[in-house]
Amino acid sequence: MLGTLLGPGDGAIEHVVARYQRVAPAVTRFARSLSGNDRLTVRLGSEPAVGPDEVVCDPRLFRAAYERDAPVTPEEVALASALHEVVHLLATRLDEKRIYPADWPALDEVPPEPIDLLDALHRAGGPVAETLFFAIEDARQELRNLSVYPGARSVLSDIYRAAYPGALRRSSPLAQFTLACFLVVGAHASRADLEARLERRANAALTDGQDLLLRAAATDDPWQVAGYALGLLEVARRHGLLDDVRLDTRPGEEQVAAELSDAVDRVRLISPVVRDASSYREVRRSEDRRPGPGERNADTTLGADPSTDQILRVSTAPTVYLPTGQSGKLIVVPAPSAFSRFAGDGRRALAAVAQRWEVSQRRVSGELYPLFAANQRRGLRSGYDQGDVSPHAPLFIGAGLYTRMYERRAARTRRRYAVSLLVDGSASMLQPRPARHGTSSWGMSAALLGAWTLAALCDELQIDFEVALFNRSFAARPDDTEWSYTRSKSQATAGLRQTQGAAADRLASTVNHYLVKPFDRRWRDAEDVFAGMFWTAAEPSRAAAAARRDPHRAPPVSMFEKASNVDELNVSFAAERMSRLGTQVRVLVVLADGMTRGSVNTLARTVDAIERTGTTVLGIGIGDDTVTSAYARSQVVDRPDELTRSILEGVRRALRRSLALWGMDAWWLRPTTTPGKETLDA
Amino acid sequence: MPDVVVFEDPTGSGKPIELERFEVPSDLPDYEQRVGKIPEADPHYVDLGMLYRFAQLEKVRREAPSGFVPLHVAVRGHMGTGKDHDIEQFAARLGLPYYRIPLTGEVRDVTLIGSTKLHGDGKGGTESRWEDGDITRALRGPALINLSELNAAGAETLFALHGLLDRYAALDLPTGETVRLRSDVRIFGTMNPTDLRDYAGTQTLNKAFADRWVIWEKDFPPADRIEEMLRIRYRDLKAPYVEAIARLAVEVNESFRSRDTTTRVETPLSLRAVLDRIPTGLRIYAEDDDPLRRAWEEFVLPHIDPYDRDHYETVWSAVVRRGPAPPPFER
Repeated sequence: MLGTLLGPGDGAIEHVVARYQRVAPAVTRFARSLSGNDRLTVRLGSEPAVGPDEVVCDPRLFRAAYERDAPVTPEEVALASALHEVVHLLATRLDEKRIYPADWPALDEVPPEPIDLLDALHRAGGPVAETLFFAIEDARQELRNLSVYPGARSVLSDIYRAAYPGALRRSSPLAQFTLACFLVVGAHASRADLEARLERRANAALTDGQDLLLRAAATDDPWQVAGYALGLLEVARRHGLLDDVRLDTRPGEEQVAAELSDAVDRVRLISPVVRDASSYREVRRSEDRRPGPGERNADTTLGADPSTDQILRVSTAPTVYLPTGQSGKLIVVPAPSAFSRFAGDGRRALAAVAQRWEVSQRRVSGELYPLFAANQRRGLRSGYDQGDVSPHAPLFIGAGLYTRMYERRAARTRRRYAVSLLVDGSASMLQPRPARHGTSSWGMSAALLGAWTLAALCDELQIDFEVALFNRSFAARPDDTEWSYTRSKSQATAGLRQTQGAAADRLASTVNHYLVKPFDRRWRDAEDVFAGMFWTAAEPSRAAAAARRDPHRAPPVSMFEKASNVDELNVSFAAERMSRLGTQVRVLVVLADGMTRGSVNTLARTVDAIERTGTTVLGIGIGDDTVTSAYARSQVVDRPDELTRSILEGVRRALRRSLALWGMDAWWLRPTTTPGKETLDA
Repeated sequence: MPDVVVFEDPTGSGKPIELERFEVPSDLPDYEQRVGKIPEADPHYVDLGMLYRFAQLEKVRREAPSGFVPLHVAVRGHMGTGKDHDIEQFAARLGLPYYRIPLTGEVRDVTLIGSTKLHGDGKGGTESRWEDGDITRALRGPALINLSELNAAGAETLFALHGLLDRYAALDLPTGETVRLRSDVRIFGTMNPTDLRDYAGTQTLNKAFADRWVIWEKDFPPADRIEEMLRIRYRDLKAPYVEAIARLAVEVNESFRSRDTTTRVETPLSLRAVLDRIPTGLRIYAEDDDPLRRAWEEFVLPHIDPYDRDHYETVWSAVVRRGPAPPPFER
């Protein structure tokens, strides 16, 4: 049963949508075949709608399908619920106007002009006839349109069959009859299947209405279906099913109609377009409200409203699995490019702060260069047939060592190293901390300066490296400005609160991994964005003021929120990205304040698992010593000017470790032992 | 009296075409070998219309109205649509020795036409002798030549065939000999469409070379024809299995044909999979709870790209979900 197959969190909207994404290409293709329209697209949105070349499905409808307990798998539900919605959206066409049919019940005043179906039906039979019509029409559409996909139809049948015994038990005779009509027209149950479960009068009415039901199942004309619904209502009346209900007043009629609709809804998968008259009209109205093709982003198949976009964003985000068995979604996105607008200020601030905190780029390079060079040298092998001519070739020739004339690179590329710099970008890093003169919010700026310094070093040494910022908040998009960010954030949050209840906060405030400088991009291209981020961190109030002045062009400075990070997801993800490069020496440097929303124990186990793969993980705690508990190799920085030494020490130790692992030993590699400090890592 | 073979129009709209079978002259030096190359008629073959079209062209050729020249047909279609099988069966019906010459990027004009080679003279020395290439050898007697994978060969290789395929209708050998296109030789070709799909080694056909062919498209067969093929070939395969396999093939291939890269699969369900592999799987897993599912898992899914797997599985769920009740075969 579906309930036993689904885990505790599998019913969450992001998992439902993620499951839909797997079947979406095929569903779109099926929809194109069904509609005969090769340009048709199926996308998710907050309101179901259908246009000439587009079908919009509401993912919440899919989720409702997972609440059924039936012998179906989650993947089958994903397919069937999506195809079900697409079929109804494509097939429900009730707007054709006709002259009031002569064989329908006589009216006091027959309209002389053509009228639409629902209007005619309402006049002929009222809300009860409408409900009966929608139940039959729903089943008919599924039978007729899903017959080419019998597998998907069988999923629906299994869901309905699992639900109808209970629904029949709780229903009045008239509701039983309505539900039975739905099941028989849809061929989900035969009259014989239902016989024992129906009240006597409902049973007799069903027998009497069998011919009408068969004809309803065979037609393609909704007007005919409406005629059969009126006929079935008459059958119900003949068998006394209307005797128990009050249809003499309008509220009474509507109450009965609602009861009938509820009975059918307990069984069928609800599709708003074919649920009832008001729901149908609402779908049609939403079609009119939708933005036109030119107003929508043509590159996306996501919903037009920010809340659905956010759900889809979370759904398609990678899931990171931790060694503890826990997992979580991580939004991975390039850092907003608008930060480059602050690049000029950022570069000036970087130079000033580097001078103030005595972080000299040259000095850092000078200290670490021999270690990197030593590692690099291991990439050369001598040989006699190919490679670069050794600078010592004359000596080797003179000595008769022809086999050592050439130095050949063993590696295919220079990708023998990979360094990943991960900077905590939560607002807690912007909090004031003790500094040399009083307090200042130096945490994030110090971390970014450290990352900048190390990035520049890696760039100088032609080492593959990545710089990423992580935080937990509403995720900014690469093209976001302050205006677009705050707008989409407030719209998405409001929409999610309306539709997702308690899950809204989880969906709006996500764990984010901003790629400032990915491995495959040049540092030169990322410098401006990074410098702009640095200025935002170093001068948060000035950056906020600049964003207020010109929100349409300013970067999304509001993306740094006061929300605790989930460091372990980001650390695990960064390590996994680095491992994909296939490098032999991997160093992951995490600059954080240690405040993880997850547990320190989980972070420690994650770091340990990464270390076991051969990656050196270095945790630099900014004004917080939590890193000492979580990272085997850690440095705590209490003052910004300590950062240089920490980075230097940390990376030096990481390099020494890699050299030691390779069995190298030279006097200049041996560490200077400092009491109480970790030295060479074995 | 020579044998006559009748080609029926499977759509029922065209008149049947009667054609005399070819005779292989017994005085040919390679008579035995040539006769041995006449293919057997496939009793399970279902003509989807291609054989009838071949016969229509053949009829015009034989009537030889004034001014007409022989035309050569290239059948273009995706893998597993049965292009080569059509041509082979045409050869079988007409009693023509069938020469299937696969063209690859490695094939050179000397391979096709011939070259001078050194042979031992039996006295300790060597002598040079002309040796026919694949096409030249076939052209020396009645033959149906199928140049398969036309667009895999390099253009410079195919230039050597230009004279044979146009009004000149002959091949000039470096030896000075001219090998003319005999009246009992037919030249066909096959090729995969050139698009972004993974037909390694194919390229756009040289325009001048393409102009020497009549290019006919061969599409995937519709469900009713697949069902017919399965019923003819596996008479004891139960109807629900036949229908399910046909529906799967049609739906997968519909996805394969999609022009939208976001909604298509890169591997079709070929006729080889439908007619050969799946039925074999059904035979092997006949005792399973769901033989069709097992055959799908073991004989279809391993052929597809990993990124197409979700799409294939979605098609499975939509079209079949649970295979028909076993056993798949009546006996």
